[in-house]
Amino acid sequence: MSGEEDSAMYYSDDDCGYDAYYNMGDCDVEEVDVKDDPEYFAYETLRVEQVERLLNESVEALSNKLHITPSLAKVVLLTHEWQLLPSAVAYKNNDWIQNLLNPSGGTKLETIGSKLRCPVCFCPAPPEKFSSIACSHMFCNECWVSHFEVQITQGVSTGISCMAQDCGLLAPEDFVLSLLTKMPLREKYQEFAFRDYVKSHPELRFCPGPNCKLVFRSKEPKAKRTICEQCKTTFCFKCGTEYHAPTDCSTIKKWLTKCADDSETANYISAHTKDCPRCHICIEKNGGCNHMQCYNCKHDFCWMCLGDWKSHGSEYYECSRYKENPNIVNESVLAQAREALKKYLHYYERWENHSKSLKLEAETLEKIKSRINAKVMNSSGTWIDWQYLVDAAGLLAKCRYTLQYTYPYAYYMEPGPRKELFEYQQAQLEAEIENLSWKIERAETTDRGDLENQIDIAEKRRTTLLKDFLDV
Amino acid sequence: MAANIAAQRIKREFKEVIRSEEVAKCAIKVELVGDSYTELRGEIGGPPDTPYEGGVFTLDIKIPDTYPFNPPKVRFVSKIWHPNISSVTGAICLDILQDQWAAAMTLRTVLLSLQALMASPEPDDPQDAVVAKQYKENLAIFERTARFWTSTYAGGPPADDDCSRKISRLMDMGVDRETACVALSTYNWDLERSTEQIFS
Repeated sequence: MSGEEDSAMYYSDDDCGYDAYYNMGDCDVEEVDVKDDPEYFAYETLRVEQVERLLNESVEALSNKLHITPSLAKVVLLTHEWQLLPSAVAYKNNDWIQNLLNPSGGTKLETIGSKLRCPVCFCPAPPEKFSSIACSHMFCNECWVSHFEVQITQGVSTGISCMAQDCGLLAPEDFVLSLLTKMPLREKYQEFAFRDYVKSHPELRFCPGPNCKLVFRSKEPKAKRTICEQCKTTFCFKCGTEYHAPTDCSTIKKWLTKCADDSETANYISAHTKDCPRCHICIEKNGGCNHMQCYNCKHDFCWMCLGDWKSHGSEYYECSRYKENPNIVNESVLAQAREALKKYLHYYERWENHSKSLKLEAETLEKIKSRINAKVMNSSGTWIDWQYLVDAAGLLAKCRYTLQYTYPYAYYMEPGPRKELFEYQQAQLEAEIENLSWKIERAETTDRGDLENQIDIAEKRRTTLLKDFLDV
Repeated sequence: MAANIAAQRIKREFKEVIRSEEVAKCAIKVELVGDSYTELRGEIGGPPDTPYEGGVFTLDIKIPDTYPFNPPKVRFVSKIWHPNISSVTGAICLDILQDQWAAAMTLRTVLLSLQALMASPEPDDPQDAVVAKQYKENLAIFERTARFWTSTYAGGPPADDDCSRKISRLMDMGVDRETACVALSTYNWDLERSTEQIFS
């Protein structure tokens, strides 16, 4: 990977991380590089304790400002995206929050001698065994605890409300914890509550990686690439799914749903073999590069369109572009449906093909590594001498990844000059990536300068496309 | 522990429902099925001035272990034509039986809420889209259909002659009563369209 991710702010040290963020102000150390990189995204990595400290700061600020308990402040912040000012305003104006201050008087309970009858279990208990939250609806402590247990077992924590009919008042954390004694449940409650706090905070995101506990914070949350320093998961900060530039979050969701729905049609394409367009011998694709050379007749052709590779020079590369039938509006419904399917398959086929190529190229990288190893062992050069090959493979993966995600973008684009420009740039990127892939697969016979030049061109094409079309 | 509370509660609720005035008016009733306190049978009298008037509707009530902290599972056993109740399965769309349930509610409040729902349907939050559509587009036909279902499936007052005649016509063609009733109800008692639908 190139060094650009370093521009994101990583902190692992407890002392410098949190405080440094606040003391840094607006001065951006790497401003020069940053402006040039369309994928630049400022975020910091936080551990659980750091997140707790961050949340507690907001809680303290609000509770001091309004003179309310921290637990109550938490409820208000949770329902107002952790924004201090709106929380304070809402607290002063909103009815349900006002209820917290001015209890409605609650309900009169049936008395049996000196005891009260709980409206949930219908059992009598002495008054000191009853509790209520701010709405004053009294229930016996045992019922409160059972209520908490059932809710927590169902994954509810901050959403636990009063048990009275038509009363949705949320139970504050300190009330729940004052009654809940079983350790495992207390822990679960606190764990779920923490999850709710982070999820309700617009600047925070959990790492989507399996079993990863890190949290990321960005002051300007955007659909940008975030990389977990611990588990290396790469994801989109906004929607938490796989990074998808230049496509936006809602489009990629639509596309992936569509692909899942149309899996049958997709199966039809997923056959791995095609026939050589000249000698018709059956060819299995075993590398990532789409520039194919038939092992039998040495014919050069394109895996995607089966056309002659000669027509795929950077000037003429057109096989990424879908050519719509201009008269389609005058055709029958059936013909239109067939055209729609054809269009979808065109984009899906390319999307799927690049995804497969990525996997095959990962295998190529492993092969490169073992070949380098062999060379180093034979004293033909050192690891450092061959490092450029590994870099090239890394860059190829990055470029192809972006290229893969250009297809959903193009599929949903309205026809017009902007789409033409997009598909032109996409075609250019496509051509350069295939060149690079071809050269990497034949790395030993390729001149190092030539390869490095190709790396440079491909990455430039990729950034140009993102600069023009990554709009988040 | 929780299961214990559930049984305790149901025992006490029985007394409450039996005591209450509604029972005297024969409007609501609950009885045990077996002796486990987990399965109950409810009855609701159709509210006056509605197409359900005169009918008695049977309900299937299942009490979860976590009752009253989770709502009971309630379903209509008697077939009913209502926008918020499935005409096929009897499943009910009512907020207090889902997320608006509160532990302080009882079987009595559930049955009374269902009675209120029968009196004032909410077609914008439908369980049965076909019924809801008819309710919104042709209220007179909806009421006629609902009355016919009350008569046929819930022991309501004698049915509309025209409806019965159309059902007989379809049955003469070898269609069973229920299929005939559903088709005619769905197609606003248009005999021709119903026939077409059944035989297509």
